[in-house]
Amino acid sequence: MAETTARPKNFLGVPVAKPKVAFIELSSCEGCQLQIVNNEATLLDFLSLVQVVNFREAMTEKSDDYDIAFVEGSVTRKDEAEKLRTVRNNARVLVALGSCACFGGVNQLKNRFDLDWVKREVYGNSFIDTDKAQPLEDFVHVDLRIYGCPIKKEEVEKIVTNLVIGREVHHPRYPVCMECKANENICLYDLGEPCLGPITRAGCDSWCPNNRAGCWGCRGPADDANMVQMRKIMTEQGFSDETLIDRLECFGGFKACVDNIRKGQLK
Amino acid sequence: MLFRTLKKKDLPRLYDRLSDGNRIVGPTVKGAEKDGKAIYAFEEISDFNNIHLDYTSTKIPAKKFFMPFRETMASFRMKGKEWDKMVSFNMNSPLVFFGMHACDVNALNKLDKVLLGSHYPMPYYAAKRKNMFIVGIDCIPQPYCFCRSMGSDTALHGFDMFLTDLGDHYFVEILSDTAYNFLRQITNEEPAESDHARYMKVAAEKNRKFTAHVDTTDLTKILDMEFQADVWKKWGDQCLSCGTCANVCPTCYCYGVDESVGLDLSRAQKTKLLYSCNLIDFAEVAGGHNFRPESHTRLKYRYYHKHRGFVEAFEESLCVGCGRCGESCLAGITVPEVIASVRGEES
Amino acid sequence: MGNQIKFTDVMAGRQWRYFRKDDLGAFENTYTAEITAVHKLTAVENLFRIQIVNPEDRKNFTFQPGQFVILELPGIGEAPFSVSSSASRHGDLELCIRRVGSLTNYLFRLERGTHVGIRGPFGTSFPMEQMHGENILLIAGGLGLAPLRAPIAYVQENRNLFNNVDIIYGTKEPSQLLFTYQYDMWRADDVNLHIIVEKGDPSWKGPVGMTTRILEDIFTHRNSEYFRKTYAIVCGPPVMFKFVCNKLNERDIPMQKMFVSLERRMHCGMGKCCRCNVGSTYTCLKGPVFDYWSVMNLKEAI
Repeated sequence: MAETTARPKNFLGVPVAKPKVAFIELSSCEGCQLQIVNNEATLLDFLSLVQVVNFREAMTEKSDDYDIAFVEGSVTRKDEAEKLRTVRNNARVLVALGSCACFGGVNQLKNRFDLDWVKREVYGNSFIDTDKAQPLEDFVHVDLRIYGCPIKKEEVEKIVTNLVIGREVHHPRYPVCMECKANENICLYDLGEPCLGPITRAGCDSWCPNNRAGCWGCRGPADDANMVQMRKIMTEQGFSDETLIDRLECFGGFKACVDNIRKGQLK
Repeated sequence: MLFRTLKKKDLPRLYDRLSDGNRIVGPTVKGAEKDGKAIYAFEEISDFNNIHLDYTSTKIPAKKFFMPFRETMASFRMKGKEWDKMVSFNMNSPLVFFGMHACDVNALNKLDKVLLGSHYPMPYYAAKRKNMFIVGIDCIPQPYCFCRSMGSDTALHGFDMFLTDLGDHYFVEILSDTAYNFLRQITNEEPAESDHARYMKVAAEKNRKFTAHVDTTDLTKILDMEFQADVWKKWGDQCLSCGTCANVCPTCYCYGVDESVGLDLSRAQKTKLLYSCNLIDFAEVAGGHNFRPESHTRLKYRYYHKHRGFVEAFEESLCVGCGRCGESCLAGITVPEVIASVRGEES
Repeated sequence: MGNQIKFTDVMAGRQWRYFRKDDLGAFENTYTAEITAVHKLTAVENLFRIQIVNPEDRKNFTFQPGQFVILELPGIGEAPFSVSSSASRHGDLELCIRRVGSLTNYLFRLERGTHVGIRGPFGTSFPMEQMHGENILLIAGGLGLAPLRAPIAYVQENRNLFNNVDIIYGTKEPSQLLFTYQYDMWRADDVNLHIIVEKGDPSWKGPVGMTTRILEDIFTHRNSEYFRKTYAIVCGPPVMFKFVCNKLNERDIPMQKMFVSLERRMHCGMGKCCRCNVGSTYTCLKGPVFDYWSVMNLKEAI
């Protein structure tokens, strides 16, 4: 995956350096990295924008000399925490890639249970070294988050383009409903399905509702998300707190909200 | 205005004439709600049988054909320190809108005032509006319809022809010579006295069916007086700040502009995205100061713009009473209830 | 295809011309302009000299003091900026810009010679002609000196048409003072220049406090005849012009003779996007310059 196509060396006359980037995974399914490589139409353009020096899923060469590190996955072991600290030291910009890196992701579901029970349940008697699943920010400073499970390829390309030309990266601050309506979807609640669209940060282009599946909140809460009203709506529509909590807990982005519900503080 | 009548069995022939060389858009069934009720949408139509002229209301209004949710305003070709800008209005051929209710026609008339009739008319809208042939159709008031309160239950202009169901035939109002020429191609008749009587009876029956109302008496002044009222806070607490009301509103036209750089850095694009004044960053300026940080201030602003500011500017409100916002709001915020509460008429 | 409806080309026979406000060609008419110079004013503020490239367009470009333009960087964004230069310079504009967001951060990286887009001019202006023959108070806080610089230039160029002219300018610290190189010139043009900072530094010799302190000082030396024939232009943060305008009102200067410039989020500048609305008034059309009486009547203005 070396340099491929020629590209302008500036934007509006401002020189554009070709940053060295590394893709690094901790505990994850590597699905987010797969998202990067599976859009052939724009892959070449993407690769002309950055110089990939480390991408286990797509290349054999490896280097620790990079400017931007995209880290996928959550931290579940001591050695992963160490690896993450090293990456932090090497990288100028550390990007948390996907829900696992941002919030713990699906992995953090196990944090609800007794760790020994979890290990026995999944691995039986074979030894497995695993601890709580934690987001990157519990260990190192994270410069930028790319939300989603998995991440949305188009959004990553936009973010990386902005990173490369040195333009600030802004996430949508409104909830998924905004994009869902723009996509003219039928509201999941009209179909009798629960959906966290009203409180979840947009940017995914309402990926799940476009396919008639309710939102599970993989991108975490929108700014000023109205959790109290969301809970009322779920109740009014005939869904139990358990259904709501199941969704809120799935990716870890709504941890504070779930804690509040459990403590009886969300009214 | 010219009036004719058209036998119902001849309507497919009108459709055939209109679709001969033109794209057709009309109300069609998009799905069903959990209780089995049909969900309607305006879509491009390729078969007359897919048009549901007896539709109640669509979830998403007709504005998407006049003001798409996302629209490219301009694209740029970058050349070092220089660039070329290309502008397109994104409309290349006329469109026939077959079956629009009076509220939606009136919504376009209101949009015309601000988007065409004021300083800096908007060519993106004009290109679509001027190339839309509209066939209106009468309707049956639904429980959420308060168009009569807003004076939008009948359309006086803004369409090419308007059909009213008189049983076995339609009463046809003709407003444009294009409509006249189309109608001439199929059998139609001069309305008889009995048709006039029947039309008035149908209209009277329709009026009796309205159940939702909004009292607009002195509303602009009342909104000024109640600017600090606690009731806004109550609605603000309910509001999800999700923008759904604006997206399903046939008259909301607020937008944001998003510029983006192409992956190969040789292109850039300027995109218009319909926005909503309920979204958290609607009034936030560079540097982070937010003029409306709380959801109730944003919700209140929405009502001020629609029921006060627009009235001040154009002598009419920016609401046609279609009730879509209330129907789509998961938090159950409806215009009749909000306005009644501001008037102190809370039930 | 015998029934094809005739397509209407809404731009047929039209030209992209800004100054015909009621023409479809005014919308999205962008002048290509070139950054001819970048003058560093403070750590976070630069003065950008921006010239419309086409000489004919540059000559025909006219604006009034207080009006704003929208500056566009393709792919980066666009934002409104009040013009900081003399209106007599037409389409050879100076924009005093603070580095504060995504667009301005990128703008500060551009070199001389780069092309940018300019739309406008938009909005209302300070009614300078109405002020002829009167005293004038030009009051600015912080970055408020940027919109004030166009009326200052007008006063300099037409000094004979005004009586007493005072510029009162305050910032938080001396290092934030803008256009320091022009102060002597303003004074030489018989303008009383009063500068105050909220917090001095070791080298600061001038007064310390709020702009209202200066007002109190100079008002003790002015008689009622002065106040009867005085206009004020106040630019700065809302909290500042509220205090200042109240001070002026205490001296019976009518609110309709005080003018302020409001800042809001803006996308179109043409009364379409609604982002700048105050209450339900478009800042871009009815503003940014309002008399203080109008501001008092706007909901959520201050």
